[in-house]
Formats: sequence, structure tokens, C-alpha cells
Amino acid sequence: MTLLTVALAKGRIAEKSLLLFKSAGVHFSSYDKSSRKLVIIDDSNSIKLILVKAVDVPTYVEKGAADIGVIGKDILLEDPRDIYELLDLGIGNCKFAVAGLPETEIGHQSFLTVASKYPTVSKRHFDRKGIRTDIIKLNGSVELAPLIGLADVIVDIVETGSTLKENGLVVLENIVDISARLIVNKASYAIKNEIIKQFISDLTTVLEVRV
Amino acid sequence: MNTQHVFERHEQFQQVIDSISKRFTSYGYQRITTAAFQNYNLYNNVNRSINQNEMIKVIDFTGEVLVLRPDVTIPITLELANTIETLSEELRFYYIQEVFRQSFERDKNIGRTQAGVEYFCETSPQADAEVIALACHVLKDLGLKDIKIEIGNEAFFSLLVKDLAVSKSELNQLKELIQSKNVAELTPYLETLPIDESVSEVIQLLPLLYGNPDEVFAKVEEVNFSIETEMVIKHIKKVVSLLKIYELGKHLTIDLGLINHMDYYSGIIFQGYVSQFGKPVLMGGRYDRLGDVFGTKLPAIGFACEIESIVQALDSRGFCPTSPEMFVIFNEEHTTDAIQLTTLLRNNGYNVRSCKKRYDWIDMNNKNVIIEFSPLMNVIINDSKRVPFTENEQVINYIRETKESRQ
Repeated sequence: MTLLTVALAKGRIAEKSLLLFKSAGVHFSSYDKSSRKLVIIDDSNSIKLILVKAVDVPTYVEKGAADIGVIGKDILLEDPRDIYELLDLGIGNCKFAVAGLPETEIGHQSFLTVASKYPTVSKRHFDRKGIRTDIIKLNGSVELAPLIGLADVIVDIVETGSTLKENGLVVLENIVDISARLIVNKASYAIKNEIIKQFISDLTTVLEVRV
Repeated sequence: MNTQHVFERHEQFQQVIDSISKRFTSYGYQRITTAAFQNYNLYNNVNRSINQNEMIKVIDFTGEVLVLRPDVTIPITLELANTIETLSEELRFYYIQEVFRQSFERDKNIGRTQAGVEYFCETSPQADAEVIALACHVLKDLGLKDIKIEIGNEAFFSLLVKDLAVSKSELNQLKELIQSKNVAELTPYLETLPIDESVSEVIQLLPLLYGNPDEVFAKVEEVNFSIETEMVIKHIKKVVSLLKIYELGKHLTIDLGLINHMDYYSGIIFQGYVSQFGKPVLMGGRYDRLGDVFGTKLPAIGFACEIESIVQALDSRGFCPTSPEMFVIFNEEHTTDAIQLTTLLRNNGYNVRSCKKRYDWIDMNNKNVIIEFSPLMNVIINDSKRVPFTENEQVINYIRETKESRQ
């Protein structure tokens, strides 16, 4: 019988998480990254892994369909949920940044047009600085917006900066650092407290060794 | 398809309400109701109770703004404050009423049925424990599994931050980090605030003071709290020891990092969780200062749960089958006999449906009692047995006997 359900975002985060889990003694040997299987049970038959789209991970956890989830802080900042955020896993490190053409001045502006996949984060950042904004929500290829004059700047996650560079953009301002977090459903934490605490303490040990 | 199934949900809904009312009554609570339309200003006076955007507003012909009852606690407290000058005795009320709130989540209904209690009395470990015991019994009666009641105290956090020189937005950020038990960000955030090392250390511990009562109390022993905070812990300990006498100890979890968003809570706060439902099914706490808003000291403790949530939590456990029913089946020429028998049965305290046709679904539950008038022979069908009859008295006697033999 499975004791815990863990939701992971398909892709790189899933692979890095599974490596962490492995060091903590939880093995998913049947996992194959080329497979399209969405549900995987661990070797000891106690943890069920579900692979979902990244933005859906918090939904699965908040609704209790998964007890635990691993998700980037970017998504939690954009769409805050009523969940516990118990660990910084130190994987998937990147940052939120304002980017634009090299000559863009944002310090003295009172109004900016901002294109982003993250409208909430963008608005909050500029509100704090006292800059009025018109936010344009895009779903991809955000780098295009300043190039064709759709927006003055963009707000996006930046890892190495190579996509920006290739499109002639630069980071104008850093907003906040981002990494993957372990989130837990509040009801699960109450009902399955012993098991979840054990899982977390195993992971913490691994994380401490890494540092 | 059996069309009767369509309305099973309503029946289950009613079963839940019946079970809860019965339990509330067993603790000596009296049912009350509040008006559907409430004054909009009433909710503006009580700071941060219900989000203004969530309320459904209506304007009457004088131009006054009313709201559709968004909660029950505040109108009850107002009514009591208008009725009495001081609380000279304890009062116990319960309600089962619809409350109306517009949610940002589109899949949620505006009207939700709340069942709750308000116990007006001075704070004491006995009173607080009894209300938590009631909450626990309500969930147990419904057959819900893995019941956990999380207990905290609002004063715990507010005492810690009472004298801190931090802004409102900083305090909210701090609350958010504690509510989400985000230790990774809490520690660096505290470093940015002008807070004493000693206080900061205690705040960092809050998310970890969670779990089995004995374990949490053991952890608390090692921490240096102020005298006031020690009193709060003593109160919680006493409440827990009383709940153990109720034999509810295994259902308890202590969460000293528990902070409710309702601003009027002032003492012990708690929420109930059950398996297969990701959110609290029940929430409550002490609100000793709410009466002050209306000029009367009305210490009280209470809780509420949403029937829709409970039905949903029960759904995943499978619906309990409907109870057996009694049917009188007749055709045109037996109308008089059938009506007379049905009336007789009903007056004898049985629940009877009369139908002109014997539907298939009536036979599907073989616990149903079917009384059929037909040209050939009048017959009682019960438990696959057929018993003929001629007189109404025979039917009454037969049903009485089989009922007795079952007991």
C-alpha cells in the first residue's frame, strides 16, 4: 500500500529531485525519462510518484490529491497557495529579473510597459518601487517583446542568461533568487505527520551533506 | 437509470445535518437562526473578519446597503450584545444555516451550509476542552477516518511580536512565512528585521513546534518564554490533558505556529482534518473580544464546519445506502382501502409512500416493506416473503411483530 503521493513537474526538476530522493534512500528504479508513464511506484512500494505539468503541482498539493510536491519558487510567488513550504531543495536555482535592451533606463521612469509570463510577480515588483505599469501577459518567447516594441522591459526567470544574450537583451535588475521547494498539503501534514517528517528529515540529511 | 439516485446527495446532506444536530443537542446546545439580510456596516465594524469583495451586497429602497449573511457568529454576537448587559450565565447556541460568499474560485457555490456552535462563557481549560471534544465527536459520528484536530493559540504569536518595531506589511510577511512553515526563508527574513536575537530565535522555532502533544511540550521545555507565553502553554497543556480524559488524545496535534486569518480570535484556535480531504473540514477558536466591538463583554468560543465539505469528504468513502422504506401499492378500485391503510400506518408512526405503480427500484432494496392491493389478493412483501391479508389491523400487527423480532 502506498503511504505518500508525491507530485513532480515533468522534466529537469523531476530528474534532479529523483537523484535527491535516491540519496535519501527512496528509489524509483522503474523511472525512465523517455517513458510517458505518469504514475510510478517506488521500489519499497510505499511512495507513489505522479508526473504533472509544473504549474499544476501546487494545485495537486493544495487539493490534497498529492501529499507532497516539488515546485519552483517562481510558480509559488506567481500563484500563492495555502500549503506548507517546508524545504528549500537547492536545485533548479535561477532568479527573477527585469531584462531589456542594453540602453533601457528604468530607474527614472514613472511608467513602464512590462511583458511577462509572471504578471503578479511583475506588478508587485514595480508597485513596490512606485512605478506604474501596464502588464502584458505572454505565454512564451517573452524576449521578443522589447525587440519589436511590444513592451519596454520583460520580467522572466534567468538561469544562465544565454537566451537573453542571443536576443541582444541584458539583465537590468535582479528581483529575487529562485529554487525548487518541497511543499506539503496541510491536511496530509496533520494526518501523516510521522511519515512526512521522516521523509523530510531524510532529505535534510542529504541536503546538509551537499553543503 | 433509477431517478431516485439523482437526489441521493440531498439525502446524504440531510443525514449529515441530522447527525451533527443530534451531537450538538447532546452537549446541551440550543438551535437558533439569524436573518438572511444583514447590515453591511456591521461587517465593516469588525476588522478583517470577512473580505468585502466576498460579500453579496443588496440595496434596499431607502438606499441602505445590506449583505446576504456572510457568517453567523457576528450577527449572533451583535444580537446578544443588544439583549444583555453582561454575561451572567453561560449560553450555548448552535446553528445550521447557509452563508453567502463569493469566491475567486469559480467552481465554488456562493451559498454554503455552515453548522456551528457558539459557547458564551469565560475562558477556562474545561470550556475550551469541551468545545474541542464536541468538534471531535461531530466528525467521529459521521464515520470520518483519520480525524486530526490541530490546536494552537492565537496569543502565542501575538505575544511574541507585541513589542516589535516592525511595520504592518513586515508583520504580514512574517505571518505568511510562519503559516507556510517556511523555515528556509524565515531565518534570513528575520535577520533583516530589527528584532532581538532572543525573540528571533523563538520565532524561528514556531514552525517546528508542531506534532504529537507530548513531543511538542517536551520541545517547549527547552525554550525560554516570557511569563505570559508560559501561561498560554500551561493552558494548552491543561486542555490537552482534559481531552485525554475524553479519550480523544490520539486525535490531537499541537501547532504553535497556527495563525488564523480571522482577526477576532483571541485565545485557543483549532481546526479539524480528515483523510481524503485536503483542507480543514472544521475551524474554530476563542473570540473573547468580539463582543467589545458592540459594547458588551461577551467571552465565547465556537467552531463551524461546512456541510458541503463533509459530504465531499464522505463521498470518497462511498455513500451509505438509503434506509428501508414502506410502500403501499394500489390500483384505481382500491383507492379507498389504500388511503385508509396509509393514513393508519402514518398515524402509527411509520413513514409510508403510496404509489399507483410497483416500480422496479422499490423491489431493488429487499429491506423495503411493500403492501400491495390487487384484484386477486392483498399481500405484504417483506424480506422476499409474501404474507396475504384482508384487514388493516393485520398489517399493523404484522409490521409491529416483524419490527420487534428484528430488535
